[in-house]
Parts: sequence; structure tokens; C-alpha cells
Amino acid sequence: MNGPIRRLAIALFVGFAVLLVNVTYLQAVAADRYRNDPRNPRVAAALTGKERGLIVTADGTPVAISVANPNDPSRFVRRYPGGSAYAHTVGYSSLLFGDEGLERVYADELRSKGDLTISDVIAALFGRDLRPKSLQLTIDAGLQQASFDALGGQRGAIVALRPTTGEVLAMVSSPGFDPESLLGPEAADVRRRLLDDPDEPLLNRAVGRTYPPGSTFKVVVASAAVETGLAGPDSVFPDPTEVSLPGSTATIRNYDRGPCVDGTQVTLDTAFRRSCNTIFAMLGMELGAATLAETAQSFGFGIALPLELPVQPSAFPTDLDEAALAQSAIGQRDVRATPFEMAAVASTIANGGLLMRPYLVQRVVDADGADVTVTEPELLARVVSPATAAIVAEMMEGVVASGTGTKATVPNVRVAGKTGTAENDNGPPDVWFIAFAPVEAPTIALAVLIEGGGDAGENATGGSVAAPVARQVLEYWLQDRR
Amino acid sequence: MNRDAEAALLVGISVVAALGVALVNLAQGGNVDAQVALTFIVFLAALGGVHVSVRRWAPDASPFLLPLAGVLTTIGFVEVYRIDAQLGGLQRWWLLIASGLAVGLLALLRGPGVSVFRRYRYLLLVTAVLLLLMPMLPTAGLPLRGVVAGGSRLWVAFELGPVAIHFQPGEIAKLLLVIFLASYLGERQAVLAHSTRKIGRWSMPEPRHLLPIVIAWLLSFAILVVQRDLGASLLLFATFIAMLYAATGRASYVTSGTGLFFAGALIAAASFDHVQRRVTAWLHPFDDPQGAGYQILQSLFALASGSLSGAGLGVGTPGRIPAASTDFIFSAVGEELGLAGTVAVLATYALLIAVGFGIAIRSREPFRKLLAAGLTFVLGFQAFLIIAGVTRVLPLTGITLPFMSYGGSSLVANFLLLAILLRISHEEHTV
Repeated sequence: MNGPIRRLAIALFVGFAVLLVNVTYLQAVAADRYRNDPRNPRVAAALTGKERGLIVTADGTPVAISVANPNDPSRFVRRYPGGSAYAHTVGYSSLLFGDEGLERVYADELRSKGDLTISDVIAALFGRDLRPKSLQLTIDAGLQQASFDALGGQRGAIVALRPTTGEVLAMVSSPGFDPESLLGPEAADVRRRLLDDPDEPLLNRAVGRTYPPGSTFKVVVASAAVETGLAGPDSVFPDPTEVSLPGSTATIRNYDRGPCVDGTQVTLDTAFRRSCNTIFAMLGMELGAATLAETAQSFGFGIALPLELPVQPSAFPTDLDEAALAQSAIGQRDVRATPFEMAAVASTIANGGLLMRPYLVQRVVDADGADVTVTEPELLARVVSPATAAIVAEMMEGVVASGTGTKATVPNVRVAGKTGTAENDNGPPDVWFIAFAPVEAPTIALAVLIEGGGDAGENATGGSVAAPVARQVLEYWLQDRR
Repeated sequence: MNRDAEAALLVGISVVAALGVALVNLAQGGNVDAQVALTFIVFLAALGGVHVSVRRWAPDASPFLLPLAGVLTTIGFVEVYRIDAQLGGLQRWWLLIASGLAVGLLALLRGPGVSVFRRYRYLLLVTAVLLLLMPMLPTAGLPLRGVVAGGSRLWVAFELGPVAIHFQPGEIAKLLLVIFLASYLGERQAVLAHSTRKIGRWSMPEPRHLLPIVIAWLLSFAILVVQRDLGASLLLFATFIAMLYAATGRASYVTSGTGLFFAGALIAAASFDHVQRRVTAWLHPFDDPQGAGYQILQSLFALASGSLSGAGLGVGTPGRIPAASTDFIFSAVGEELGLAGTVAVLATYALLIAVGFGIAIRSREPFRKLLAAGLTFVLGFQAFLIIAGVTRVLPLTGITLPFMSYGGSSLVANFLLLAILLRISHEEHTV
């Protein structure tokens, strides 16, 4: 009988060996994954009331802080002094709904790791700092607030970049919401109301949704034409009232349904200033699908531009037929861009054709105030030559001086810009204005988007609705701020 | 190792139990109080009592068994006390009762030895079956009644005036069945092992010798169907098969038994909701994290949160695991004592099993040999089943972890098992 008994014993030992391997897997190899699973109630319990790191703007204004809980001084509550203007970019850290925005992306740096477990103590013995780290953003507090106020609650977004470095100076999405309301006792009701709101306040329109860029895309088309040598500002085009699309009964017409100027002929510079669809449709077809797609790609279309926050990729379709090409060249059809992408387009022209990698977080700082990481400006792409950029910049300056964008004029400052009024299948147009200033040494490039024409509705154009908003932001940056 | 070393170990274990209670009290913001002293005294009395009776009535017994079981009891008790101090207090009295009964059993066996069981084997079988049937008593009206808990009928309540005792008769029945089987198979092993019938190239046991295995299968299946107890059903069946195999050395019992088991499991999974739920929760716990998968996920989260060194006694939150003090005690230990604790527990079980099988292998008389093997197997397999269940190696089966889970019936049954093993090792001079 000893043989079988021995084999029974071996069978049980094999069983226990399996258990041993399995607990080792669960408690050592896969432990982090299970431990940090959002469904593990310990995660939430461990994080509630723990101190989180500070988030401040470039100028040191705190926008997310942990303060002592008035009911229980040993615990902390999160406060967002910046309010709605930062609701999407900074986001929030909610026990019930998880983290969003930079609070989510930098959750690991911002949270306190001192859970008083033995593993923490061991980690601390090996020199790991368990205290929360803090973030300094590139955002300018005044500009952020001015941008949010300029939108005035209309559905839309503003993104402002510093062209020479890629720093994000402002990133707002409207309508906003009070992030603290998602932490309070009414959080569940508030969230349901925000989710049901047709204006989608929880959506970060700056990076989270793409729109047809309309005529702002003509900056890309003009850049392609100048860069390839196909046309310059003085190149002369015929001036028809409409352009018929090959293989289609559809036509392309200008906003006022007339010719661009007088029906004879027109220069590219004038067509750009007056934002004539007819001329740019012809120019697009002349450039060809391949060239246009290539230029669009180098501006960042077709990829998600890098940023600390998740970015919806902007799109320029490839393999277009002539008709589609003509429509794409005026920023319609299937061309899609986030406000963030269009700000990058403006920034590229402002920076002599160089696209800098955009970034929101200037530095991560440890609890003693020492830098953990510092973001250095980085060249992302040489999109067009400095000469081309200068020519397109000059054309854009003409838009603000004597074209569709005169409402963006800031006294005594050279402003370059481009309007966009993108037709929408379902309702009033989405209106755009992209700009940079001062032209001689740009310190800001921005994109303004207002969904569905904003308060102006059906009759809104980029020049009438978005340009004044851009002007308010530029005025703050170039005049009031000093 | 000799008896004095055993005594020293048992004192050490009692100190550990007392220190565990002190740690838990301190971690929860309390003080070192009378509970600490009481724990030390009760553990010393319980383990010491068994030790003294071993010295008197089974002096040649293995000195390893009691300390190993004592370690498991201590870890289990401290964790139960940590989860619910009141439950821990009760467990302490149960330990006293269980060791008292073990002492009593050793005293009873001092003259005739374990072979006395053989004389009463049919009485034991009938008792076992009656015990298994007890939870099916009407749930109301009588002082002794069946109890439905968690969809299963495993419990019996005895209520007379202010006295109310809940117990699981299946725990004792398990022991009696192993004794019966050891005695039955010990006599028939030669017949069972050698009478075969050839069917083509395959030699089969005589059909009438297959009868017991079929009866066992039907009995296990009945427990599953009627009492809805997956764990006990599987444990009993596996023990039958293991003992048949040990007695005969015929692998065909194992293969046909495994075949029958899978057939039964498939039928059960297809026709019973509670089995199906268990299997689904095992395979896809994240599909329904708040429902079917809840228990096992809480267990996995607890284990992972324990990580290598554990949260520390009294510092974790094992209260988040359902049934933390009974079926999931292993996960609670895993959260607070970490991988270090779970490996220690697994190693202790492995050692206990090794000692048990060692006694079986060194025994010469077939009955004792089979009895030792059967008791060790039932203990080891039960520990394996529930630990495999709470760590998601196997579907969850609701059974207790021997010596560690909270529960009087379980503790009593396992201390009696220990007493029998001690006595066998004494009679066979296996040290």
C-alpha cells in the first residue's frame, strides 16, 4: 500500500506547490495590478483624505490644493481655486468618479505613497520619497481666466501656445463646471446633471473633439502652395462665381455667393484675405491630393499631437478624388481638427515654420521643492521653410488688417490671423479664428472655436463671432497683462 | 525531536497567540489588556492538555503533529480575533472544548487503541449518514432543527431555552466515514486489488467491487443536490477515491472516479444555478464584479493588497472580504501577513501532510495505515480545496480551512482527527 499512499502524498504536494506558485503570482508578480484595480475598495479608501500634491500655474497661482478637512483635521480635502476655467485641463480627483485631466495623468506623482504599510516603510528605507509631488504648469493664470471669460459660456474652446517653446499658455473648454461640485455630498446628482446637459460640459473641447476647420485650413493650403513654389501671394487666379467639381454636380461657391472680387481675376493674397473658397478649391486641385496630404500631415493632421492630456487625432483624408480634394482644401468634407491642432498650425507659422512640441507641465517638483523633471522646449517638426512661413504670416496679417478678420485688431500691435466658418450638416456653422501676435516677434499663437455659431447662431462667421473673442484674449496678453 | 522540545514549541506558540492579540489590540488603538493573558492561558491549557495526555497515553506519538496544528490554530485564531474580537473570544472557548475532546478521545483509546473503531464500524457508518442527514431536519418546531445558510443546508441548530448551539454535523461525519472506509477497505483490499475481469485488453475490477465507489458517488451527488454543498460533496468523493486507491493500488479507481467526477460536475454545472454561478465567477470574475464575482475579487484584492510583507496585523481591511473569518480566512491572513504569511501557512500544511503520510507509510497494520492515510488526505485535500478556491485556482467551494477558520464543529473535528493520528503514530512506533 505504500506505493499508492506515496503517490497520494505526491499528488497533494503538487497541489500545494501550485498554490504556492499561485500566491506568489497574486501577491508578488500581479499584486500591483490587482491592488490598483479601481474595483478594489482599498484603493479609494486609501486615497480619500490623503494629501495630494499642489498644482500651480506658470505664475504660481494654485489651481489644485489639498487642505485640512474642517470636520477631521487629520484628513485632507481637494480644493480647486481656479474653478470652472480649469475644470477640463487640471480636471479633478473624485472618490466616486475617479480622476480626470492632469489629476488623472499625474495621479501617481500627485498622490501620497505613505500608506503606512510595511512595504512603504521598506521603500522609504531604500530612499524612496513617499510624499506627494507637485506640478507647475505652463498655463498663465490671467490668460486662462481671460480666455474662459471671453467665451462667455458659449460652447467652444480656446488654446493658446507660446510659438517659440510650445508651452500651452491657456487651454479652456466651455461651458465649464465646478470641479469641487463633483467631490461634495451632492456629487452623484451633479454628475448626472452634467452628463444629461446637452451642452456636454464634461467634454474637453480643446483636445477631445474634432471639428471641420473651415477656412482656417487655408493656412495649410497656402503654406503648401508657397512651399512647393506653385503659387505666391501675387499669383493671379481667374475669379469665377462658382467652381464646378469634376465628376459631380456639386459646385463650390464663396460665402456671399458672388465672385471673390470683380469676376475677372484675383491674386492669391487677396483671395486669402477675403477667404475665397473658389480660388482655394482651384488651388487645392492644382496642388494635388498627395502634396496637400503631406503638408497637412507635417502640420500634425492624421496624428494626435503629443500632449500630457489625451488628444483626439485630427484628420486629413488620403487618396482623395478631385471633387473631394477641392472641398478638403477649404477645410470641409472629412477634414477634422481639434482647436489644439489649429493653435499648433498658427504657432508653426508664427515660429518660422518650426512646430515645437506642446506641453502643459513645466516641472514636477518634490515635497522639498526640488525639481524632479523639468520640460525643455523640443522641436517636433520642420513643417515649412522660414521663407514660406514669413510669406504666409504676411498674408495672415492682411486678413486682420483689411480682410475677414478685422475684428481681431489690437491697437498698436501687428496681429496675424485667419477666420473660419465651417458648414455643419446639423445646424449653424462652427466658427473659428486662429491668430498670432505680435507678427515681428510672436509671443502667443491661439485658436478660438465656437460651436454652432455661439450666441449669434445661423448668421455667425469666424470674423464676426470668433475674431472678437480672439481679440479679447490677445488684448489681455499683449496689453492688460503688463 | 523529543517531547520536551514539543512542550517548548507549544509554550512558544501560546506566547505567539498572546502577542498576536496584543498586536491587534495596539494596532486598533486599544491597550494590552486581560485578553492577552487569557489567550496565553487558554492556548497553554488547550495545547498543554493534549501534550500531557500524549505523554501519558501515547508517549511514542510523533512530536511534530501537535506543534504544526498548533501553529495553524494560532495564526487562524489571531486573524479571527482581529476580524471580530467577539468571534475570536468564542473561538478560544471552542479551542478549549476541541482540545478537551481530543484529550478525552486519547483517554478512551488508551486501552484498546484505534482498533476499537473496527468493532463499531457499522455503527460509525450509520452515525455518519445520520449526521449527514441532520441538516435536513425541519427548520422549525423542534429543539433540534436544520438551518439554511447561504443557500446551503449544512447546519443544525440545537435550541433549548436560552441555550443555542449551531454546528455542522458534516465535519464529524467526514471523520467517521474515513474511519469506516479504512476498516472496510483494510479487510477487503486483497480482494479488491486482485479480483479482476478482463474486457478485451482492459482488466476491470469485478462489478460488485465497484459498488462502493458508485455508492460513494451517489452519496456525494446527493449531498450536492439536496444540501447544495459543493465543497463537502467533492471532499467526500475525493476521499473515497483516494482511500480506495491507497488500499488497492489500482489506478483504474482513480481514472474511473475522476471520470465520474467530471460527469457529475458537468451535470451539476448544467443543471444547478449555484454550481453554474460558482464556475462563471471563477472563470470570469470581472464580468460581474458586484455580483457573482464579488467574493473572489475581494479575496484577490485582499491578497494583492497584502503583497510581500502584508499590511500588518490589525492594519489591513480584511473585513471587506465576505466570510473573512471562515471560508476566506486564508485571504485575510494574506492581506495582513502578506506572501510571507501565506507561504508560512502553506508550508505548515505541507509539513503536517508530510508527517501524516509518513505515519501511514511507516505503519504496518493495514487498518491503521489506511486510517492514517485517509485522515491525512481528508485534512490536506480540504485545505487544498478551500485555499485553491479563494486564490482562484479552482472554483470556490464553501468549506472551512482546517484549524484556521472560525467554527466550533470544524475545530472539534480536526482536533479529534489529530488525536487519532497521534494515537496511530504511538501504536505503530513510527517515530
